Amino acid sequence: MTEKEKLIIYLSNFEISIKKQEGLIKLLGDRNIEELLSSDIENFSKDELQKIRLNYNKQKLDEYIKNIINSGIKILTIFSKEYPKSLLNLPDRPLILFAKGDLGLLNGRCLAMVGTRMASNYGKMITEKFAKKLAQSGFVIVSGLCYGIDSISHKNTLIVGGKTIAVIGSGLNHIYPAVNNSLAKDISENGLLLSEYPPSFEPKRYTFPRRNRIIAGLSQGVLITEAGLKSGTVHTKEYALEYGKDIFAVPGNITNSKSELPNHLIKIGQANCVTSPDDIIEFYGLQPQVTSNKSISLNFEEKMILDLLENEERTFEYLAEKSKIPTNILNSYLTTLEIRGLIKRLPAQTYAVI
Amino acid sequence: MLSKVLSFGLNGLEGFQVQIETDIIGGLPHFDIVGLGDKSVIEARERVKSAIRNSGFEFPVKHYTINLAPADLKKEGPLFDLGIAVGILAATEQIVEKSFEDYIFLGELSLDGTIKKVRGVLPILISARTLGFKKIIIPKDNSEEAKFISGIDIYPFSSLKELVIFLNKENSFPINPIKTKSFEEIEKINSNKLDFENVKGQKVAKRALEIAAAGGHNVLMIGPPGSGKSMLAKCFSGILPDLTFEEALEVTKIHSVAGELDLRQGIITERPIRTPHHTASTISLTGGGTHCKPGEISLAHNGVLYLDEFPEYSRQLIETLRQPLEDGYITVARANQTVTYPASFTLIASMNPCPCGYYGSKERECKCTPAQIHKYLSKISGPILDRIDIHIEVDNVSYKELNNNQKEECSSEIKQRVDKARKMQLERFKSSKNYCNAKMTVPQTKKFCKLSPDCEKLMELAFSNLKLSARAHDRILKVARTIADLDGLEDILPSHIAEAISYRSLDRKYLEV
Repeated sequence: MTEKEKLIIYLSNFEISIKKQEGLIKLLGDRNIEELLSSDIENFSKDELQKIRLNYNKQKLDEYIKNIINSGIKILTIFSKEYPKSLLNLPDRPLILFAKGDLGLLNGRCLAMVGTRMASNYGKMITEKFAKKLAQSGFVIVSGLCYGIDSISHKNTLIVGGKTIAVIGSGLNHIYPAVNNSLAKDISENGLLLSEYPPSFEPKRYTFPRRNRIIAGLSQGVLITEAGLKSGTVHTKEYALEYGKDIFAVPGNITNSKSELPNHLIKIGQANCVTSPDDIIEFYGLQPQVTSNKSISLNFEEKMILDLLENEERTFEYLAEKSKIPTNILNSYLTTLEIRGLIKRLPAQTYAVI
Repeated sequence: MLSKVLSFGLNGLEGFQVQIETDIIGGLPHFDIVGLGDKSVIEARERVKSAIRNSGFEFPVKHYTINLAPADLKKEGPLFDLGIAVGILAATEQIVEKSFEDYIFLGELSLDGTIKKVRGVLPILISARTLGFKKIIIPKDNSEEAKFISGIDIYPFSSLKELVIFLNKENSFPINPIKTKSFEEIEKINSNKLDFENVKGQKVAKRALEIAAAGGHNVLMIGPPGSGKSMLAKCFSGILPDLTFEEALEVTKIHSVAGELDLRQGIITERPIRTPHHTASTISLTGGGTHCKPGEISLAHNGVLYLDEFPEYSRQLIETLRQPLEDGYITVARANQTVTYPASFTLIASMNPCPCGYYGSKERECKCTPAQIHKYLSKISGPILDRIDIHIEVDNVSYKELNNNQKEECSSEIKQRVDKARKMQLERFKSSKNYCNAKMTVPQTKKFCKLSPDCEKLMELAFSNLKLSARAHDRILKVARTIADLDGLEDILPSHIAEAISYRSLDRKYLEV
């Protein structure tokens, strides 16, 4: 490991702006870090200088790096071979990335799926549908491992055996929200977990919008399924625009506050309107895969239920009233259909076709 | 002079024999009661003194010592008043001692000599009968609850004076013991219970409660405010099977000890439903305290314990339910004794899906953050969820449904099906202590819930596709067993399994954000 890389790793422990860090790296030249720190350094505040000067200890730093690598975390700096090319030319590229998992995914055809943390039933359904289909078509799904659209995208990608990258706004040993710990473990085994913060870094308010630039930067396009006008997704969209990435949005009901952002983006022409995963697949000139509709044998009642659910999600009471099937029988039909993956159960006794 | 009178004290739900010894000697005026009595026993001095005088008897100025034997057992409550008074009257030779030596005396005295009702008469009667006593004197106000005990002569009295006349046989008309009734003779008091007939819609919830009643399963209802969770729970006790005499006696015993018996109502004929508030203290729920009394969960014995807003109860309180839910009784350890109360109830709990109550609702948008919802749902710990077989969602009923004139099924029709299913279970478990599917042990589940290959396949698919948690497995089997019983079938069909799976809302991931 070169002295420059070591310096980047050392600096990542202090919350110093990327510009200043780049300045220090330039200043380093062929010297070692000790010499650099004892020389005159401009542009830094007194506090910052004191912090980086007092904390430096060559032995400790070497040990720190060894510990990180031994814990299975890979360190990518802008000087590493594996550092993603898509990020290298961004104006505010992260100087360092900590990673767990398959680094090969960074060179894949990445597509970001982002959105609200509180998805509506509609948002959950379409995100699931898009994530599964896109992952099966070979896209690497990039998202932020948060609640809502993020975790739905990751989970469903993994379910169909697809590849996914999670860029998180905290250290790799500090998954936030903690509920997603097991999902993070899954991703580190079957995908890639990425963070620009050192492993023990605790999440802060500003780190989440910051990591959105990595999500946007890694991806060829950003798909927004459901988000409010003030959502953090706005940041991802802004970065994507700045970096010249494609933006896709799924339209939604105009009365649904969670569909405001996609509808707005479509209206002002910033996003491509997509209504099916195939739209994105075709946009990139790929062949949409024809999923063979397995002929599933359904009995009369099951067909009737599927017909009733055709256009809209429906409540149990509605289905019971229209189909006239007794409660207990209907309940078991619905569960069977769900187990066979034909319909989905949503909160408040609501069902929808997938 | 010395006299000895029999009485009974109460320890938990068991009566124990107490001998009241009265010794009167000359000397300075003094009145002392010894034998580990609590405050209300010590205060008997003043009540007894006044009651004797105001009934027209003499209370000579002398040195009185009263001993309640055995002296090492704690005695509580005013039920020894009557015995002490009779003892003093005997020691002062105002009653012939021979006349009462085989009687037991229970009752609190009022200053004017009236005998007032006391709590715990029923359990004492049962204990006294078991110990072979033949005659007992009780307050008249307690006579209703005593009517179902045969094999012991019970004499109700309303005043000390009457009692003395009776004991001295001064009255030429003999007073007879109360006539006992058999359980079948009692008029079942219909306490205006809510009927499922009045609940519109809520088909899934009704069906789930029917299954719960049939198999003795605990239920958790999840739904927004105003969706009718409480109403459903209140209707629930109406579809449970009738109490048998033994069960009714047990319930009445507990209510008698807690002092919760209605005067008019001798024996409790309906399954109780208790609804403690979520601010209730742990002791009020489990029982115990200074004056050891059964708590809410014991008062719900053989009935229903309904806990509304389940996550609002303190963690500690919810966790104390674990032992009773498992064993059917609660053991309350106090500093100087341990009491066990029966507490075998069906738990009906209800909760909102999130702190604001509207997560997933179509009527209003939920205002909670994902973290809040997650925290709220995870307030119910795994071990408690393990003991609740059925989780259902209850949603608001639309105006259209509220106003349709379609006739809903009434409770008595549902109850018939429940009774039939229970009968099957009694037959199945006749060689074991168990009486319903919910209480099946692991080997019993293995034996009675055998799955056909079709069912096995469905279960396997369900676990992999719906991401059920492992703890759901046995719960689903038990509920499926009950559903099969409701259909009158010995074999569990795939449709039974499928229906049972639909009642595992909290194990399923669709509620997650």
